[in-house]
Amino acid sequence: MTRGDGLVVICACLLVGLSYVQFWGAPDAGDASATREVRILSGGTEFARLPLDRNALVEVPGPAGITRVEIADGAARCAASPGSQGICQRAGWLREAGDMAVSLPNRVLIEILGETKGPFDSINY
Amino acid sequence: MITWQRLIPSVLILLLAACSPRPEVHTERLLAFGTVVELSIYTHDRELVREAARVVGEDLDYMHRAWHAWEPGPLGRTNQLLATGAEFSANPSVLPLILEGQRLEADSDGLFNPALGALFALWGFHGDEREEHAPPDEAEIRALLETRPSMADIRVDGIRMRSDNPAVRLDLGGFAKGYGVDRAVERLKELGIEHAILNAGGDLRAIGRPGNRPWRIGIRHPDSEGVLASLELAGDESVYTSGDYERHFIYAGERFHHILDPRTGRPAREARSVTVIHRDGARADAAATALFVAGPARFAEIAARLGIEQAMLVDPQGAVLMTPAMAERIRFEQQPAPPVILVEPAR
Repeated sequence: MTRGDGLVVICACLLVGLSYVQFWGAPDAGDASATREVRILSGGTEFARLPLDRNALVEVPGPAGITRVEIADGAARCAASPGSQGICQRAGWLREAGDMAVSLPNRVLIEILGETKGPFDSINY
Repeated sequence: MITWQRLIPSVLILLLAACSPRPEVHTERLLAFGTVVELSIYTHDRELVREAARVVGEDLDYMHRAWHAWEPGPLGRTNQLLATGAEFSANPSVLPLILEGQRLEADSDGLFNPALGALFALWGFHGDEREEHAPPDEAEIRALLETRPSMADIRVDGIRMRSDNPAVRLDLGGFAKGYGVDRAVERLKELGIEHAILNAGGDLRAIGRPGNRPWRIGIRHPDSEGVLASLELAGDESVYTSGDYERHFIYAGERFHHILDPRTGRPAREARSVTVIHRDGARADAAATALFVAGPARFAEIAARLGIEQAMLVDPQGAVLMTPAMAERIRFEQQPAPPVILVEPAR
């Protein structure tokens, strides 16, 4: 093996190390929170995907009327929605990844995006 | 003899091969089958998860329309034709569920009865929104039960069928979701997905495992949003729970839920929730309802009749009744753990 071969081997090892950090390293929590988004589904399609760091009021039309989604202070909530029981509004402010509010009569789902790190993969109820 | 010149390239190829993205559990949520559906897949391919969610959503919505109990569609048309008493050709999307419903009613000794759609309508559970008005009169309930609608009233000969009883009105809601989730999971397998959980409104089927650990499932406490117990799944299993906290209304301070006892025509009162593990989602779905109606008194008998070995019932006092096979898998997540009574399924 010549010196040149050795140099190639060292460079390749460094490249592997950098690739490991890039693709297998733990995600930066700071970055994850900085890019946190709320996704609004209407029926079977995505209606909007908005950053939580920008205040907004969104009106989502559905079969039962209008669902109003409010984004403020890094959180989102279902401010108003058709339905006699107010289930969507009762979900309150959504802040953490996986938090969601649903209006089944209006077929609207509001969820905070991001990987959830709870102890369970799924909840049975 | 192995030389450095030969070994180093092999090591480098192996190391570079490890640079593909790490598999993780990716989750997509969607609205389908009239509920929130959550699809979790263990993969490195996030795009595959989005595509699978789209396909599953379309399939579940198709099934939901076909089997809807109170909106126009194949099941609604089937109910109209059954009420005439005349023979007709069965809709192919509905026929397999009718045959399955007949088996489930017979195996549950009538405690699970999908022919009692008129009773659910009488209670106001046929609608996306139930106004909080009074429950039906006892006389109305009695009159309906006296017509004795049963899945056995439906005569099936190949694809032809008719009903001997015009009071038969199908409501497949007690097991259609389980049947639909099973079909959707088969579709996931066709897409090459081997490790996934499909959770439709709280009821789920899990296949494979996320890496070198099993799937971890929390079971909701009937009194709160908290988790009562957990279990691990690996392989191919369904977990279904029926609880009195699901569809219900409150009138004059009393809660009336949607799990109706075919014997009394009123909400069953001997359980708060029942959880069943079984390979077949449709059977697990129906069994959770049948065992809820059975209550502690007939829990062992109905479990045995339905071929259910793993089931857990939370009674109105918070005590837990379960089969030994279920007890081996359940881990309570709340302290103190509730009192447990073990019951072997037996006829």
